[in-house]
Amino acid sequence: MKIVQAALAGTLESSDLMVKVSPSDVGLDIVINSEVMKQFGEQITQVVNETLTAFNVTHGQIIVDDKGALDCVIRSRMQVAIMRGTCSDEINWEKLQ
Amino acid sequence: MYAEKTPEFDTVETSNGVIKEEIIQFLHSNGLGIDDDVGQFVIARADKQLIACAGLAGNTLKCIAVHIEWRGTSLGLQVIREAEYLANQNGDHHLFLLTCPDNVKSFRGCGFYPLATLENKATLMENTPVGIHRYCKKLRADYFIPAAKIGAIVMNANPFTLGHQFLIEQASRACNWLHVFVVEENLSQFSFNDRIAMVRDGVKHLSNVTEHPGSRYIISRGTFPGYFLKEKQVVNDVYSAIDLIIFRRYIAPSLGITHRFVGTEPYCKVTAQYNRAMHHWLEEEFVIPANAITVHEIDRKTDENNYPISASAVRSLLNKNKLSVARNIVPESTMPYLHNWLRANHLDLSEPPLTGNLMSISVGL
Amino acid sequence: MKKLRRSMLFLPGSSAAMLSTAFIYKPDSIMFDLEDAVSLREKDSARILVFNALQHPMYKGIETVVRINPLNTPFGLKDLEAAVRAGVDVIRLPKTDTPEDIHQLEREIVRIEESCGRKVGSTQLMAAIESAVGVINAVAIARSSDRLMGIALAAFDYVMDMQTERGDGTELFYARCAVLHAARAAGIDAFDVVYGDVNDEEGFLKEVDLIRRMGFNGKSLINPRQIELLHNAYAPTQEEVDYAERVITAAEEGERSGLGVISLNGKMIDAPIINHARVVLERKKASGIRH
Repeated sequence: MKIVQAALAGTLESSDLMVKVSPSDVGLDIVINSEVMKQFGEQITQVVNETLTAFNVTHGQIIVDDKGALDCVIRSRMQVAIMRGTCSDEINWEKLQ
Repeated sequence: MYAEKTPEFDTVETSNGVIKEEIIQFLHSNGLGIDDDVGQFVIARADKQLIACAGLAGNTLKCIAVHIEWRGTSLGLQVIREAEYLANQNGDHHLFLLTCPDNVKSFRGCGFYPLATLENKATLMENTPVGIHRYCKKLRADYFIPAAKIGAIVMNANPFTLGHQFLIEQASRACNWLHVFVVEENLSQFSFNDRIAMVRDGVKHLSNVTEHPGSRYIISRGTFPGYFLKEKQVVNDVYSAIDLIIFRRYIAPSLGITHRFVGTEPYCKVTAQYNRAMHHWLEEEFVIPANAITVHEIDRKTDENNYPISASAVRSLLNKNKLSVARNIVPESTMPYLHNWLRANHLDLSEPPLTGNLMSISVGL
Repeated sequence: MKKLRRSMLFLPGSSAAMLSTAFIYKPDSIMFDLEDAVSLREKDSARILVFNALQHPMYKGIETVVRINPLNTPFGLKDLEAAVRAGVDVIRLPKTDTPEDIHQLEREIVRIEESCGRKVGSTQLMAAIESAVGVINAVAIARSSDRLMGIALAAFDYVMDMQTERGDGTELFYARCAVLHAARAAGIDAFDVVYGDVNDEEGFLKEVDLIRRMGFNGKSLINPRQIELLHNAYAPTQEEVDYAERVITAAEEGERSGLGVISLNGKMIDAPIINHARVVLERKKASGIRH
């Protein structure tokens, strides 16, 4: 799947994160910023990559600005940003679980 | 249902006089002015009182203020988010804002990243950590031509005149390769698409020139925020500095540009000031951590009456339907665009008899 | 022993911060709201947030409720899919006016349970009464499904429907009685309305005292601060505990001796009294003695 339109999900409030996606013609371009990059950077990256893989996203610029969110919140915001960015109206529940 | 004091957000048009007045008062009480090009505001109210606002002028956020009692809450964050959402509705996802350096940290917390700072005066920010970097990477990938001496010109070309062509020819001769950036902002009489096409057509005879869109990182003076800077002169100074800092720090290095060419400005104070600023910000060694760029001011080409050729002169002639006079100061390649403009603006193509002389032309960009 | 449901904490389903921290407060149930607390443009993201939060270990030990949007909106069905698939305990249906509303909901839930492999019948329901019609149909609604664990009164929309406003409780007088009676007749729990002014502790306690004495099982809360206050108000006094213990002792003795009738102090005590004694002791176990 390719990100076809710019979209965002989440907020920059504490315990949340903002995910911005936009089209890219050079495959996946992922940028992750976090207040707790040192301690949790690896984990955040893992959740981000897992979600992208679950949706089979091959092309898109993904910018993540994390404010100390739990994994389930990171996953949620990624899922919503991808769905909005790929204009998916139908929810494929298998992809989310 | 949640009867707590939660702020209510709303979007208002600046054309609404009553609300605009309220916002102006609110900004004033926060030590801020209002810029003319703000078309919409996001406002927040609590118990009917205005407690925050953020203005949107195209892709730039301006006139942002939060009531002193509400600072330190997440209200600022929310109002910026609403403004960003509004801009997205308008189709703009890449946003800018200008603020004083003291506020950079707050806006960083709202998802904006610094682009260029004029010390103690202003910082330009954008809402992505990789905007300028990705842009420069792509610029290099698409347009870089390795050469010993690479030059650049930034022009509006509104429309493309013999003066523009002369400048480009001079620069092209002086360099191994020349990049011509055409300002992308669509505020000009001629649309961006027409302007870049005129440039393209006007340089066909030169083999070492590439023309390309200026991008959002070549800033139009017209949209530059000034609402928190007190005087007009300061606004101009800040504009020039920020624009040139970005050019020297990011754009020039990505294409290996070491020389910049510009026409002399004998009449317009503002443009003359910008040229002076160019010498300071591009040439002086230690003002910015980036290689210096040599600035060449080339004397303007003059017409048969020895007046410097200017695009504003052409526009003025067009508006007066004096196409045959305009013909003298634009290249043949520009003529079709002038014809189209006249046609599109329903001006009669048959001219009144030539009267007076060219003394009434005003000069400018 | 029937589950204690004194406090049901409302959380806006769109708030990542609240969803990440609410479990700390230990209310009896947590309700994730996808309806009125969530703006139109955040409906999709709130749904996904709640879907993921429900599956997180932090909510495993606590009863979870999701208030979906009505099924006749573009959101309701998707909300239902998300909540049921994520394993929510109870679905709260807003604006329940007729038993058919519950039947329609139940049909959809069966479909989803079968589709995702969740045990059919495991998703419980709560009906929220928010209109005059709903109040009038309360008994029929309360009896309309085996899945119904409770019926709640929701004040905001109800008082608008009644063409009045929220006040000292006079405006809810009949509705409270009706909903309570319907619950008792159907053998399910009854829940009272949200108290909106989080800073008015006195007013809150006054209202809690009223509804507790009326017999409501619990109340919807919008602020964690209200949880402690509510639990304490529902906690029994030492006297009540002492009496309850004597009732239970008498009941156990009566069973052992095989007598048909159980008595305490010369008075007959039957099932309702014994059940109530059990509730009192449960509440004491949960929150100690009222102070």
